[in-house]
Amino acid sequence: MRSLRIGLLLGLRQIQRASIWTTVLIIFVMMLTFLNLIAVSGILVGLIAGSERAVQEKTIGDIIITPLDAEDKILQTETVRRTLTTIPEISAFSVRYKQGIKIEANYKTRRDLNAEANIVGSQAVGFNPFEEDTVTTLSENIIEGEYFEPNESGYIILGALNLERYTAGFADITGGLKEVYPGDTVRVTIGQASREFIVKGIINAKAGGVANSVYLPEQELRRLIGSPDRNANEIIIRLTDSTPVEALAVKDILVSLGLSEFAKIRTFEEALPKFITDIKNTFNILGTFIGSIGIVVASITIFIIIFINALSRRRHIGILKGIGIERSVIEIAYVSQAAFYALTGSFLGALLTYSFLVPYFDNNPIQFPFSDGILSADPESTFYKFVTLFIITLFAGFVPAWMIAKQNTLNAILGRK
Amino acid sequence: MDIIQAKKITRSFGREPLITHVLRGVDVHVAEGEFLTIMGKSGAGKSTLMYQLSVLDTPSSGELVVDGVDVMQLNEKERTSFRLHTLGYVFQDYALVPDLSARENVMMPLLMRGDPWATAKRKAAKSLDEVGLAGKYENLPTELSGGEQQRVAIARAIAVAPKIIFADEPTANLDTVSSKQIIDLLTCLNETSGQTIVMVTHEREYALGANRILHMEDGMIIREEKLR
Ligand SMILES: Nc1ncnc2c1ncn2[C@@H]1O[C@H](COP(=O)(O)OP(=O)(O)O)[C@@H](O)[C@H]1O
Ligand SMILES: [Mg+2]
Repeated sequence: MRSLRIGLLLGLRQIQRASIWTTVLIIFVMMLTFLNLIAVSGILVGLIAGSERAVQEKTIGDIIITPLDAEDKILQTETVRRTLTTIPEISAFSVRYKQGIKIEANYKTRRDLNAEANIVGSQAVGFNPFEEDTVTTLSENIIEGEYFEPNESGYIILGALNLERYTAGFADITGGLKEVYPGDTVRVTIGQASREFIVKGIINAKAGGVANSVYLPEQELRRLIGSPDRNANEIIIRLTDSTPVEALAVKDILVSLGLSEFAKIRTFEEALPKFITDIKNTFNILGTFIGSIGIVVASITIFIIIFINALSRRRHIGILKGIGIERSVIEIAYVSQAAFYALTGSFLGALLTYSFLVPYFDNNPIQFPFSDGILSADPESTFYKFVTLFIITLFAGFVPAWMIAKQNTLNAILGRK
Repeated sequence: MDIIQAKKITRSFGREPLITHVLRGVDVHVAEGEFLTIMGKSGAGKSTLMYQLSVLDTPSSGELVVDGVDVMQLNEKERTSFRLHTLGYVFQDYALVPDLSARENVMMPLLMRGDPWATAKRKAAKSLDEVGLAGKYENLPTELSGGEQQRVAIARAIAVAPKIIFADEPTANLDTVSSKQIIDLLTCLNETSGQTIVMVTHEREYALGANRILHMEDGMIIREEKLR
């Protein structure tokens, strides 16, 4: 306790008497380190977090049910559906049918049969428009025209990437329907069967696959397929609480009810496309790596500052020990200075992050092909990063103080060796 | 009983064959309340002897008992504590902490001894008053003259009322007037509070206030002179 008091007094006075510019510079370095730690990995992770969020919202739901490996449909879809309605944790689910199709436009105006046909292959997704919208809020992604109304038929919604005017930027997607707008008629062909639909709307989303498919009410798609099989290809489930823990818990309930006999049940995290998981891991490593370099640089900076500081006061340290001041006092004096730099720097860094950077990126997300990148800086991980930086800084301040304080007292006083 | 009993103290540096014998068997006895000065040419080993007696260094051989404690047996931590509680120092070049005010410098050993903040502050002010620095409590060392800094150093040494004060050429860097004041201050301390003082000086004039002068040459005491 005594040592702490005297050490803090010494540390405080040294900061007070130090050149203001030196202090500002050190604090600035600490602030940049903190930002480097928070912002760089925050942006990297934010890109993925944005894309994960989009996939969870639009494609996978919180839990996804897909056919068993050996099957191409969910067995006993009706039983599964009924079971799902009995589980209170499930707030909504959507049963999806999927089918490869061809869509053709301008077939009426095409006089010359040798001219290029205005036709694309695509995947049709059939669902109950209302249920689907409760799970994925798909209607919010309409960029032209409108979403389905209840009790209407003869309409189709096209994913934007089926249209030429939206695929211009993607080198790997060629073709696309030319000059198709809401209200136009297109012909959908499955095998030998084909039918005309009026384009009700165009949909776009960054989540994987959403903009590549076309959408139909479930009955219309099944009628076109013409099979009596009512088993579906996919059921996506929304929970009242969309957390990974809850998803696992509900999955366990579904498995315990025997649904895994009929289909594969995966939580959002288990079903994430591999590329997202890969990028996420890579970005996490990258963020940690860049952050670690920052921490190493900061600790070296602090080490050098404290070392030079203590070395230039080596004689006074010797005299203090000579008149009976304990070594720990000197160590505390320097560690407290390091703590001051780390605290002030981190505080300014956090202030900048939360009062400027996070709101800025929320309002101006980084446009990324598969997500809107935000700055992901949740307070908890920010706090852990701060604690890491703080402890390492204390250590970086302690080592040089310890090295110089442990030197022989008389040698230090006389400036020998 | 003598407060300092040093017998056959030697101090050598380096190793054979390049060994330097700086102290070659010194016997010193200082009585409690005595004012002792050590004189001798530069390089005679005066400072080296002071470092041994004041527990800043450890003799290569010999016996050393200070205030009844066999200081040869103490470890580093115990020596630091012993210096804090029993000894006071006045160094040749004042040796104040540059970041601390005059009063804070004096407060250091008081706080280390466990005095509460207010007590330390009061005692520090009192001993600064004693050395004639009332009104300069808040000055930084750089804002004081050499003589004033040395008086702060004396205030720091006497604030904790140590049994023995060691002063190694305390006037070496001072002008005649300041030197005189410092010597008077030490003499006065010895006479009024009965503190034991061991001082090294070059000037015979300054040594005359002491009870005894030891003359050193080449690492040995060659002559003892009793004054009072
Ligand atoms: N650490 C050391 N290593 C080698 N020689 C030393 C060391 N310390 C002191 N000396 C030598 O001891 C002699 C006495 O030094 P010192 O005690 O400082 O003399 P004084 O204070 O009487 O002028 C000097 O010749 C000095 O060079
Ligand atoms: Mg000397």
